[in-house]
Amino acid sequence: MSAQPAAGLGPKVGQKVERFELEKAWLVDPVSGREGPGEIVVIDGVFESVVWLEGEEAAGVTDAGVVVAPGFFDLHAHFREPGFEDAETVATGTAAAAHGGYTSVALMPNTEPALDEPGVLERIRSAARASGSPVEVLAYGAVSAGRAGEQLSAMGELADAGVLGYSDDGAPVRTAKLLRSALLYAGMLGLPVVEHAEDSELTAGAEAAEGYVASVLGLAGWPEAAEVNAVSRDLAVLADAIHDEPRARLHLTHVSTAAGLDLVRRAKAAGLPVTCDVTPHHLALTDEWLAGARRWSWEALGADGKPRDPWAAGALVAAPYNTALRVNPPLRPPTDAAACLAALLDGTADAVATDHAPHTIVDKEVEFGRASNGISGIETALGVLLALVDAGKLPLARAIAALTVGPASVVAGWPGLAATPAARSRGLVEGATADLVVFDRGDSWLVTEETLRSKGKNSPLLGRELPGRVLLTIAGGRLAYEDPEADRT
Amino acid sequence: MTAETEAASTAAVKTGGAAPGAAWHHRHLLDLDVVSWPEIELIMRTTDEMKGILARPIRKVPALNGRRVTTLFYEASTRTRVSFETAARNLSADVVSVSTATSSVTKGESLVDTIRTLEALGAEILVMRHSVSGAPYLAADIFGGHVLNGGDGWHAHPTQALLDLYTMRQHLPGGDLHGRKVAIVGDILRSRVARSNVWSLTAAGADLWLCGPATLLRGMDRWAAAWGDGAIPGHGRFHVTSDVNEALRDADVVMALRIQRERMQGGLLPSLREYAARFGINAERVALARPDAIVMHPGPMNEGVEIAPDVATSGRAVITEQVTNGVAVRMALLYLLAGSHDSAHAGEAGR
Repeated sequence: MSAQPAAGLGPKVGQKVERFELEKAWLVDPVSGREGPGEIVVIDGVFESVVWLEGEEAAGVTDAGVVVAPGFFDLHAHFREPGFEDAETVATGTAAAAHGGYTSVALMPNTEPALDEPGVLERIRSAARASGSPVEVLAYGAVSAGRAGEQLSAMGELADAGVLGYSDDGAPVRTAKLLRSALLYAGMLGLPVVEHAEDSELTAGAEAAEGYVASVLGLAGWPEAAEVNAVSRDLAVLADAIHDEPRARLHLTHVSTAAGLDLVRRAKAAGLPVTCDVTPHHLALTDEWLAGARRWSWEALGADGKPRDPWAAGALVAAPYNTALRVNPPLRPPTDAAACLAALLDGTADAVATDHAPHTIVDKEVEFGRASNGISGIETALGVLLALVDAGKLPLARAIAALTVGPASVVAGWPGLAATPAARSRGLVEGATADLVVFDRGDSWLVTEETLRSKGKNSPLLGRELPGRVLLTIAGGRLAYEDPEADRT
Repeated sequence: MTAETEAASTAAVKTGGAAPGAAWHHRHLLDLDVVSWPEIELIMRTTDEMKGILARPIRKVPALNGRRVTTLFYEASTRTRVSFETAARNLSADVVSVSTATSSVTKGESLVDTIRTLEALGAEILVMRHSVSGAPYLAADIFGGHVLNGGDGWHAHPTQALLDLYTMRQHLPGGDLHGRKVAIVGDILRSRVARSNVWSLTAAGADLWLCGPATLLRGMDRWAAAWGDGAIPGHGRFHVTSDVNEALRDADVVMALRIQRERMQGGLLPSLREYAARFGINAERVALARPDAIVMHPGPMNEGVEIAPDVATSGRAVITEQVTNGVAVRMALLYLLAGSHDSAHAGEAGR
């Protein structure tokens, strides 16, 4: 399924794209900030020409049809290898990424063994090479040895081996003291600490965001304070650490509360070296999905900006307690989703990252409170953002920027990475290596277990039609994905 | 043929008991959120008929003769299990009883496997008790028969709420709860009894008050706020308070909920003694309620903690009536579920 013969291109996944032409498409180039009608020609994996059309030639070409953008970069994904290959492998993960329009991914180190020394990174790279996929596989090292929260991992060796930064994701860095050391040491190496901000004591046993929906469903509440408290701690420690090591950097991943995002907003305004990302699911889904609602977050708010009661509005259309919705941080009320969107629009959130977290059916087809946390989301991220665009909530260019230059700029702020491929400039530029996605906003696709390339079928969007069908993904001049049904004659 | 005659009389439940437009059409009973008020009244009327059966010298009718009822309890509960099994046997069902200690679940068979196995062994109606909220929805999703929720986590205990409602109606003039004040006092946060009672009592028009220490009410205020001003069609508002006097004043019904010892370890309560002193239903507090108020408890009781022994044994207490009514309500639900048609529920999605 992952290596369909390419209808129009000739090459198979991994092979250099010898020739690809696209006439009269809508080009979005977030590097130059330009979007509009245009044409591209790729020869031998390189942009031979990028032409912006004007006047008569541009007539009839809109952003509602075929769109070309630079390939996406995911700051946060789990490909489960080594250790949990029944949930995902580097091969299936990269196939899923390419299907989602991604050409670079940054993997979290919560593998088994954890990526806390260079040998594990080499195994992942070896698997990436063996997969044949041209999707660029980057990885974070663990902050602590074995992710145990006790002592630092082999941070210097990991930096030499080329990790993107450090994270104990899945859990926060366990103590403020260890976080301080990690920020200093990573700062010295020119790399960031990527933090999963959660006060684990406040969330012990928690099942769903504390509030109305969790109360009705009898699910143990996950207090908002758990994120706010952790973000506060992290920012306070960062503010302290930069006195000793000005290169210390903090990236907060999957921030999901209005209050947490507001702390980041204020910290940025105060000049702290902090960045953050939000996920597609926290932008578009809400806790009412746990009760059986299936409307987008923006449809759950009334004209007055207040949530519309899903019980009153007859919005409950599916069975409750779908474990595909169990995720950490939890899905929140619509007001928090709106805050994630506001943060994306005002730049508080630098990027959208998927937190792609595939799980096996064994870990998900269980009681809600016993299900593993995580959503398989790398293939649906584009569609979710395009739903926001279709609803008029998010400009197309901002959506594309959040998937491309946004994450790239986060990484570019990390001086230790200057020489790595991830920092290469992305854009639709003649002479550059072709790294792009082509998708059709005039077409949609049905999310099913069969259409998802990921081994993780734990998507709450199964059965849903998503806008924006990806037709083609080219990574580093090589074919990463081509829609098997696409006719490009 | 005496038994057959009995059966015919019970079958009258189906025709004579059902008011126009109130036929039972739910394949499962997982919670009362999707049960309309006419359907609740149908359950009440069917329960009346089952009470009639229980009043006979021989309490057994062949209504579910040959039907297989399996009780699957993942949580210890002698009284609820015995109540369901008695109800099933009174209807002549074959009863299989499966109990699984929660501790062995992690190393043993998954819930899904267990249910598939029970179905393969012929289970038709599954009565399930589970410590995780929502577990019966997973069961209903994969089980080919009927699932009857016998209590899931903190979420729902629909048969308890129905037997509570039945008992209240027996004691209130005209069986009408409209405007009647019902105070439920205890660990509201973790109470499936309280949650299911919210659905049924707000549908009945009762003036419902949920009361407990602030640590055991967390989040419930947001539910109550969302339901203010009649936001939900068919359901009235309810109140949440930590002021036990306010909750009990002029109440028609006082219900105490069990306080478990584990609550102390979680740092949620200073001590059982302090709970008893501040929230325990004692004679002095009951005196705040109306003179004819009834006192209820879903059991098992911690006498001297959430309810004083003299209150539990006083003439106002209807606790043993709750137990008797519980059998009748469960007979009614087994009967209604067994008679419901699967085809009507293709799109019901487990609800």
